[in-house]
Amino acid sequence: MVIDCHAHLAHHTSADWEEADRRLIEAADKLGIDQLCCSTLTPRRPAEPAGFREANDFTYQAMQRYPDRVLGYCYVNPGWRDPALDEIRRCVEELGFIGIKLYNEYRADEPVAYPVAELAIELRVPILYHAGHSHYFDTVQPRISDGGMIARLADCYPEAALICGHVGGGGDWEWTLKALRRAPSVSLDTSGSVVDDGMIELAAATLGADRLLFGCDMSMTAGVGKLRGAELSAADKRKILGTNMQKILTRRGSSC
Amino acid sequence: MLIDVNAYLGHWPFRKLRHNTASALLRLMDKKGIDQAWVSSASAVLYKNPQAANEDLGAETRKHRDRLVPFAVLNPTYADWEYDLDQCATEFDCKGIRLYPDYHNYKLTDSSCHELVAAATERKLLVSIPLRATDARQRHWLISIEDMRAADIVPLIRRFPDARFVLLNGLGYTGCDLGKPGVDLPANYWIEISRLSAVLQAEMRMLLDNVGKSRLVFGTGMPFKYPDPSLVKLEVLEATKSEIEAIRWKNAHALLPA
Repeated sequence: MVIDCHAHLAHHTSADWEEADRRLIEAADKLGIDQLCCSTLTPRRPAEPAGFREANDFTYQAMQRYPDRVLGYCYVNPGWRDPALDEIRRCVEELGFIGIKLYNEYRADEPVAYPVAELAIELRVPILYHAGHSHYFDTVQPRISDGGMIARLADCYPEAALICGHVGGGGDWEWTLKALRRAPSVSLDTSGSVVDDGMIELAAATLGADRLLFGCDMSMTAGVGKLRGAELSAADKRKILGTNMQKILTRRGSSC
Repeated sequence: MLIDVNAYLGHWPFRKLRHNTASALLRLMDKKGIDQAWVSSASAVLYKNPQAANEDLGAETRKHRDRLVPFAVLNPTYADWEYDLDQCATEFDCKGIRLYPDYHNYKLTDSSCHELVAAATERKLLVSIPLRATDARQRHWLISIEDMRAADIVPLIRRFPDARFVLLNGLGYTGCDLGKPGVDLPANYWIEISRLSAVLQAEMRMLLDNVGKSRLVFGTGMPFKYPDPSLVKLEVLEATKSEIEAIRWKNAHALLPA
């Protein structure tokens, strides 16, 4: 079983959203990816409740169109506390979503994230955090989370299943690995367009293969290629490609 | 047959590289089924005097010229690059040069750059231009260099119709004249695939349709990058066998016949 833990669906304001989603499934077919854990982000952020509810409806529709292929993350802006928590309950308890997606509206170690972490623990679902660490101020994403911030959230909520997004998302991945070393409850997804040689091996050596989750974040051949190129045992690759994510999904009993 | 037009030896000051000696790279190439790699020195990009690194490259590749084809990194603003170019071509058997205008503090439109391109072209050397060395988001705090835009290369392509340009580590070609159909540009440039998409946006397929199969060349960026993602692209690309063979080696081989 190969599970891409980090994928996105097209928002329906995009003229070719149906075609884009179909191409994602086709790419997964070609690359041997069985399931895609997807969120739909709002075109304009920070997202407001009506916007993230609509985006999650689009995700749910894709789950219906591609049963057993598309698993849904509920995307919310935690700044809208009550609507966000209500939306997470709706998506997980009523619609069968498998997790929560948080983007860059707030940093992971800001108190605004705490109620979401508490609800994730209650519902036994993971939170996939958009993340990256650069050595300059990111004016486009001033409140992007990094591995250190996610580790601090994990210190507060060690029961939460946190996923630090896309180690290959462009920031200093060596920094991210070191920042997450002492946060055993945080998993790291391997997605992103960066395919630096040695990245996956160092991630496995630093965090352990049990904490790595295969992902593409729409960089499909990069995601598959870097795992294929990594000098790891077949057993470790199987864990990264699917078994580790299956274990996370099993916490709630989500099908996979 | 498989030819990688985008490979490196040497050190990169901001990250430890593996497989960065001739023997180690050859072992990796054997493992991945890559027959030949066009290599330049990674060290040369940040040395003030790149020729010191070109000399290392020449020595490192000397016994392996059938598989490791050296390319010189030259800085046209540095003293007596003309001597360095001559030495690289005659002593080190370099078959091309690689330009890093942003790292070496000049522009592709500068007369110094034009002089170097003209001199390389006169010697029948290829001129390769990496649009990035590494992802700008992971840059060291001491440097601030953004990616070159594909469109920035167009004036150079037009100005030197007899030159042969190999564009590395780039994407977004279909958004500019380099990758659009029916644009009146000399057929003097080739596009390496390591950052192009084979699925979803599928820029590789679009380029095949827009500019033809003779213009794409295989490359990986090793040992900065795993070679495998580029290999995966060839597996999943919607293309004819003839198109795949052109990308794998035929186009590169035509540029540098044995």
